[in-house]
Amino acid sequence: MAAFTEAAHAVAHEPHDEVKHVRMNRLGLWLFFASDGLVFALLLSARFYMNGTDTAPDVKQWLGLIITSVLLISSYTAYRGETALHHGNVAHGRLMLMLTILLGVGFFAGVVMEWSIAEFTVSEGYGTSFFSMTGMHAAHVASGVLLLFLAWRKAGKGYYDGGGLKAYGVSGVVMYWHFVDVVWVFFYPALYLIK
Amino acid sequence: MTRVVRAPIVVGLVLAIIGFAFGAGVLGAIRTARGQSFWEIEVGMSVGYVFALIGWLAGVGGWQHWGREWFGLEAKPYTLTGWKRYFGFSPDHKVIGIQYAVTFIVVFLLSGLTAMLIRVELMRDGKQIFTPDQYNAAMGFHGITMVAVAVAVLLGGFGNFIVPLMIGARDMAFPRLNALTYWFVPPVAVLLIIAVLMGGWESGWTAYPPLSSLHTKHGQVLFNLAVITFGLVSILGGINFLVTIIYERAPGMTWSRLPIFVWGAFAASLISFFFTQALAAALLMVLLDRIAGTSFFRQAEGGSPVLYEHVFWFYSHPAVYVMVLPGFGAALEILSHLSRKPLFAYRWVAGAMIGIVMLSGIVWAHHLFTSGMAPYLHAPFLVLTEMISIPTGLIFLGAIGTIWAGKLWLQTPMLFALAFIFNFLMGGVTGIYLADVPTDLHLQDTYFVVAHFHYTIVGGEIFALFAAIYFWFPKFTGRMYNETLGKIHFWLMFIGFQLTFIPMFRVGIQGMNRRIADYPHEYAGYNTFISLAAFLLGSSFLFFVWNMASAWLKGRVAEPNPWRASTLEWQVSSPPPEHNFDEIPVITDTPYGYGGGPAHHRPFAGGALATEEG
Amino acid sequence: MRRDFTLFTIVWALVTAASLAVAYFILRDMSFPTHGAEEASVIDDAFMALTYLACPVFGIVIAAMVVALLKHRSSGPNNGDGERILGTGSLPVVWFGVSSLLCAIVIIYPGLTGLFELRDHKDPDLRIVATAQMWAWTVEYPDSKVKVFGAQELVLPKDETVEVDITSIDILHSFWVPAFRQKMDAVPGQINKIYITPDRVGDRESDAAYRLQCAELCGLGHAIMTMPVRVVEKAEFDAWLKQQQSVTEAK
Ligand code: HEA
Ligand code: HEA
Ligand code: CUA
Ligand SMILES: [Cu+2]
Repeated sequence: MAAFTEAAHAVAHEPHDEVKHVRMNRLGLWLFFASDGLVFALLLSARFYMNGTDTAPDVKQWLGLIITSVLLISSYTAYRGETALHHGNVAHGRLMLMLTILLGVGFFAGVVMEWSIAEFTVSEGYGTSFFSMTGMHAAHVASGVLLLFLAWRKAGKGYYDGGGLKAYGVSGVVMYWHFVDVVWVFFYPALYLIK
Repeated sequence: MTRVVRAPIVVGLVLAIIGFAFGAGVLGAIRTARGQSFWEIEVGMSVGYVFALIGWLAGVGGWQHWGREWFGLEAKPYTLTGWKRYFGFSPDHKVIGIQYAVTFIVVFLLSGLTAMLIRVELMRDGKQIFTPDQYNAAMGFHGITMVAVAVAVLLGGFGNFIVPLMIGARDMAFPRLNALTYWFVPPVAVLLIIAVLMGGWESGWTAYPPLSSLHTKHGQVLFNLAVITFGLVSILGGINFLVTIIYERAPGMTWSRLPIFVWGAFAASLISFFFTQALAAALLMVLLDRIAGTSFFRQAEGGSPVLYEHVFWFYSHPAVYVMVLPGFGAALEILSHLSRKPLFAYRWVAGAMIGIVMLSGIVWAHHLFTSGMAPYLHAPFLVLTEMISIPTGLIFLGAIGTIWAGKLWLQTPMLFALAFIFNFLMGGVTGIYLADVPTDLHLQDTYFVVAHFHYTIVGGEIFALFAAIYFWFPKFTGRMYNETLGKIHFWLMFIGFQLTFIPMFRVGIQGMNRRIADYPHEYAGYNTFISLAAFLLGSSFLFFVWNMASAWLKGRVAEPNPWRASTLEWQVSSPPPEHNFDEIPVITDTPYGYGGGPAHHRPFAGGALATEEG
Repeated sequence: MRRDFTLFTIVWALVTAASLAVAYFILRDMSFPTHGAEEASVIDDAFMALTYLACPVFGIVIAAMVVALLKHRSSGPNNGDGERILGTGSLPVVWFGVSSLLCAIVIIYPGLTGLFELRDHKDPDLRIVATAQMWAWTVEYPDSKVKVFGAQELVLPKDETVEVDITSIDILHSFWVPAFRQKMDAVPGQINKIYITPDRVGDRESDAAYRLQCAELCGLGHAIMTMPVRVVEKAEFDAWLKQQQSVTEAK
């Protein structure tokens, strides 16, 4: 292979390079989603393996509906925030990120509430699925909130001024948020709706 | 004094201790508030550990060089130089490669010594040195540490060092992530050692519940935490390799020009990034059953131990190919360069590796033939498992086609690579006996299985590992090892290995089951023989350690390309310059230009790249 | 090249013949523990069939290595290169075809055929229930209410098909008598069945293959979780059962 011709064009810091960098980050992130998604998939399968298709009669349907809506809306605000920051509209972007954070915290609070009023225990079959699935998901939500908060702060310090590729960090965080949201789209029916 | 105190490892340790105290303290406060005792050992250790891990990673450099950026601060520059780089947070893939390689070889020797103790105990029937408890601790420790070595040493050590060089890249895709990933490893080792000091755990490396979820000792919790942490290493490392190989190839380095070792690393990374989560999930379920009171494995609540077996093997079967695929790559690479022949049937071999990846995910239940799983699952898993022999056979075709009519230069790495072919043939073919349900019903959980997997892992991967160590030693260190000592190591290891593990097949068929500290007197003869042979095998590593230590410190200075090999890593100085290539090379042909192909083995001038056209 | 192929063929034939001979004359008689049940034939035959098939495959690889090692050594990197054989021709296709065929054979015989033979439903003459716990076996003869436990003996009649219902009251264990070959895990809350037809008289005292051995790691007492097994003629078995019954009633 050592048949080399002239040296390639200099590599350092061409704009072309930054595009490649973002592409690499994006691929890395997607691979991470695939990998992390498998944990959720396994928990989901374990739920059906253990409990078949019965739901516990006493999950709080109204609460489930509320937190699900909250999470879905937060995906929309996250998307708005990302777009705004990409277009260099920092103020609006930050507002939207903050809204997302609040909605995320709201979701988390909903889960905590659900946990404290649940009429089944963790050692019952259904409780095992319910608590482990919502727990694992809530841990992801919490880390997502933390990441959104860091992005919000950095936006405030002017890191994303000018938008475009500079705001890639926000895209990464927001993609993560969507991922966590999509997971819930599978978990919600499995935990609440199936009869 | 302040220099010592500021050393990354010291800072990491201090923050780890603080983290542990914080985590355990907060947990204790919550527990007290709820009217429970402040300290409950298993929950306390788990929660404390999570914070200790964060503290450790931040302390060794994760915060200084990376974390600060997340908070909008400036990351600190890398200031460590010389040997100190190896004890700090370094984004250089060559430093990280050596960190992995040295760590895991030390763990290998430690775990090998444990195996020697196991053989002392098994030398005769009755009790020799271990109580059954201590035996289980030793066996579990040997099993899990060796599995960790096997999964990570070639990929982590050699993959990191060699792959970027081979594809003409300046570094891995995510250098800082790479550094962080390595620093997950020491906590794994520490946890396992503490677990052994606390009396170990009783469930081997497979941790089947309900033994692991309801019984056994506190060490089980540490085991689970260690393996989950190790899972992260595997996942993050795998992602890094995939992105590197996809995006960082030099111009002209097309997929059909990748050296075969890169293909091996790529295939193994595909498995480790995707499947490792299942291992983490399985052990997390066990952990939750222990510390949070869930019922994943309690029959009365709909849980089932067979569920665990499925999830566990869903990862742990593919994991054996994470071990052996880079081994295939390294061995084939060496066979080609030291036979001075192009790799035979290159495309078939690369395709076979991907074929193995695809099949590896759908054969796991061959570990469950005697588990009482639904009978209709037996036939499909028998068929799928045996189909893996087809792509694996193609790898063998590549190997023997490559040495056919070559110019075999029988230096130490070549001897190891040739032994790899023989050993893995034995291991692979005996795998078929296990995949065949009727024979497996008898052989499952006997020493036949032990012999099978030592032939595949030790005979296959570990022999390939030593081939790789000797082959790339001059590139890693800039010095040459001692050939005579290398050959002594090889012959002792090869003969010792055969004598140790061949009799295990026999005693297994005869009815000796595995994971026992004591056995019926009838099997004592074999076992004495096996133990003596194992000591011979063990003694070979004394020559290895001596050779490596003396060569690294005062060996002959190596040329850039002592093997006159044609891949890119040999076209730069030994050890390679800091950023690998002054100019990124442009590739115009396949990696194996032997026998009238494109140019190769150009003499080297001052670390610059050879620029002649072929 | 030509001479290489001749040598290859000779070595291949020799290695194959030698390994077949070893397999046929030595392994077949020496490897297995005592053949103590009809079902053992399926397993032993499968084992030997796989061994015979492995011999020529083994021979190919060894022969290629022998040729390379005998005729193509070199003392250094500067003695020129090997021939530039890329393997892009039809050889890989042939290899792929032949190994697929071989694989298909192995899957069908001894794989699937053996599996279905063992799976064949049999009408048991006797049913026993083997219950595992940490770290001892309890075997019950439900029809006669006899129970044996721990270091007592598991006694079975010769030439009768026995259904073994295997279960556990705590964690995973596994039921295995080497002389009978088949093995099955004891899973809490689940009953797994195997069928055994002992066809030879034997006992633990003279033969380690006649032991019920736990074959799934179960902690501290795993190694010693065994129970001696004795296979006797039907008449003797009935007498033993009677005697046990009276012992039970006396209690
Ligand atoms: C590197 C590690 C490694 C590798 C590569 C393999 C490879 C294989 N293994 Fe192995 N295995 C282990 C490590 C490995 N194994 C471990 C660690 C365990 C035990 C775990 C535990 O319980 O603790 C285990 C256990 C294990 C079992 C379960 C045993 C039991 O507990 O009951 C089975 C059953 O099917 C099995 C099968 C196979 C098969 C079919 C292959 C195949 O991939 C082999 C394919 C290769 C060949 C067949 C040879 C070359 C092919 C040719 C020359 C072509 C022609 C041949 C034919 C057509 C047949 N293995
Ligand atoms: C990479 C994987 C790997 C490797 C390399 C080995 C290597 C060896 N193994 Fe191991 N083994 C496993 C993976 C591995 N094993 C696994 C997964 C299990 C299953 C565990 C379970 O059931 O849960 C197992 C189980 C296992 C058992 C069965 C235990 C049981 O079921 O009860 C035995 C028994 O003989 C054994 C023996 C050996 C021996 C003799 C070696 C030898 O090859 C070791 C040789 C190496 C050395 C001897 C090192 C020598 C070091 C020195 C001489 C010191 C050097 C000097 C300095 C430190 C300065 N192993
Ligand atoms: Cu019971 Cu092992
Ligand atoms: Cu497997």
